[in-house]
Amino acid sequence: MAATSGVHDLSSEMEVDAFRRLFPLRFHERHLLESIRPDGGLLEKLETQPLCLTMLAAIKMEVMTPTVEAPEEGCIGLNKCLSGMIDLKELCLVGGKAAWMVYLDIYCLDADGALFDAALLSAVAAFSHCKFATVQIPVVSLNDDGRIVLVSEDNGGAKKEKEPVNKDKRKLKLNSVPFSLTCILHKDYILADPTSEEESIMETYLTVVLDSSFQLVSFNKPGGPGLANTSAIQKPTDLVTAELDSGDCVTLTRQRVKELQKILNETISDMEVD
Amino acid sequence: MAGKSSATPETYSPSLTGQRKKRPPILTDSDWVRPDGRSLHQCRPAFLRTGAVNSASGSAYAEFGNTKVIVSVFGPRESKKAMMYSDTGRLNCNVSYTAFATRFEDRAPETKDLSSMLHKALEGAIILKSFPKTTVDVFALVLESGGSDLPVITTCASLALADAGIMLYDMVASVSVSSLGKNILIDPVSEEESYQDGSLMITCMPSRNEVTQMTVTGDWSTPKINEAMQLCVDACSKLGKIMRLCLKEAATAPQD
Repeated sequence: MAATSGVHDLSSEMEVDAFRRLFPLRFHERHLLESIRPDGGLLEKLETQPLCLTMLAAIKMEVMTPTVEAPEEGCIGLNKCLSGMIDLKELCLVGGKAAWMVYLDIYCLDADGALFDAALLSAVAAFSHCKFATVQIPVVSLNDDGRIVLVSEDNGGAKKEKEPVNKDKRKLKLNSVPFSLTCILHKDYILADPTSEEESIMETYLTVVLDSSFQLVSFNKPGGPGLANTSAIQKPTDLVTAELDSGDCVTLTRQRVKELQKILNETISDMEVD
Repeated sequence: MAGKSSATPETYSPSLTGQRKKRPPILTDSDWVRPDGRSLHQCRPAFLRTGAVNSASGSAYAEFGNTKVIVSVFGPRESKKAMMYSDTGRLNCNVSYTAFATRFEDRAPETKDLSSMLHKALEGAIILKSFPKTTVDVFALVLESGGSDLPVITTCASLALADAGIMLYDMVASVSVSSLGKNILIDPVSEEESYQDGSLMITCMPSRNEVTQMTVTGDWSTPKINEAMQLCVDACSKLGKIMRLCLKEAATAPQD
């Protein structure tokens, strides 16, 4: 990840690295002036995969007794943006007695900026994976003492009286799937999908979450010295003729949603084949 | 949404009724058939890769059958925990399991014990004098536990240390065996470990023919222990060669 840039004509690479560490803000500002990033990428080019950032998401499902207020619904351990994606009624097993509780665990294996984007993407991917035939919700039935037990295929005739409770609900149906993009605002520049080095220097960042029909799910700007005026967020252009290089956050997010959807679908269909 | 999640409801995982896993009766004159079809003295094929984590000084990923471990090494670096000056380096080990690493029925693994055992296994192999006043942190994360966890963790940690450029006397390879009835099984899986009468784990430096750690539990007779030790040491030397091959490949791979 050594920084090479055609703009600087410093004598040797060592100097560039030293300059980068001693005066990080000026280093990045000089790049911004020339509209490129230190690793050669364009300012608004979205990396199809975040640079060197790895996250692992896993879903565990256990059985719980549903709450009194919502006897027909299951529960998702981590709500945030996912509540629109899964209809909680899908998770119900036996009304009033048992429902699935979904635990979502996300582990960051290698961190290089824009953690929320990667976390959301991996969570969405885990749920999509759940949807297809490779991982299925196990068939369960209600035992005599009110507990849910697994139904195994080789159980013999004696246990057939217990009706499987969820034979036809073995896959999770996903509604609109959310995708997100984090951008950094620095003076007049917008930097999409920042690395952790860029994030630590420039303090204003905002996260836009759109779902697959490009509706706004969430918009989060946690403070920071820069102001998010309308032109940065969404230029008032005609949607029909929206130019892709107009450089505002929502348009960038829209592009990102298209890319991510394509990648996710490709990956899942690859998995289905094997 | 906020109101509903005020109290975390009690959950349990659905399991087969009345089917508690009982140890199959092992007659004294019959052999144990391994669930994955290996012979008694055959280890699982190893998949080793260094450089898995970019933000760490060194890292490695190891997969032995269903046991998957990723280890990151940070350092040598300054540590707030070190109160006193020391003219040798310090080693700090931490082992943790992901929430989904073990199956529901198994009890939670003793990560504190594993961390201290990893420390004992590695400290004999690291040249601590080469980084005085600083600390090397080793973080191991078990992604999936399929049996024989600590040997895989130790092997992977040694690869990660080598990847980080920490000076070592030799690579550290580790193998465990289980005693089951009259058989000795090498590199057991979780099912075999749950039925075992005794276990023996050896961590050694193959090229130097030195053992850094040996752990024996359970029921052993003297001839059996000798046989088990010999098995382990042979397997460790083979594993050591595989580890060196992995490092060589990583070093000669085209630089990007």
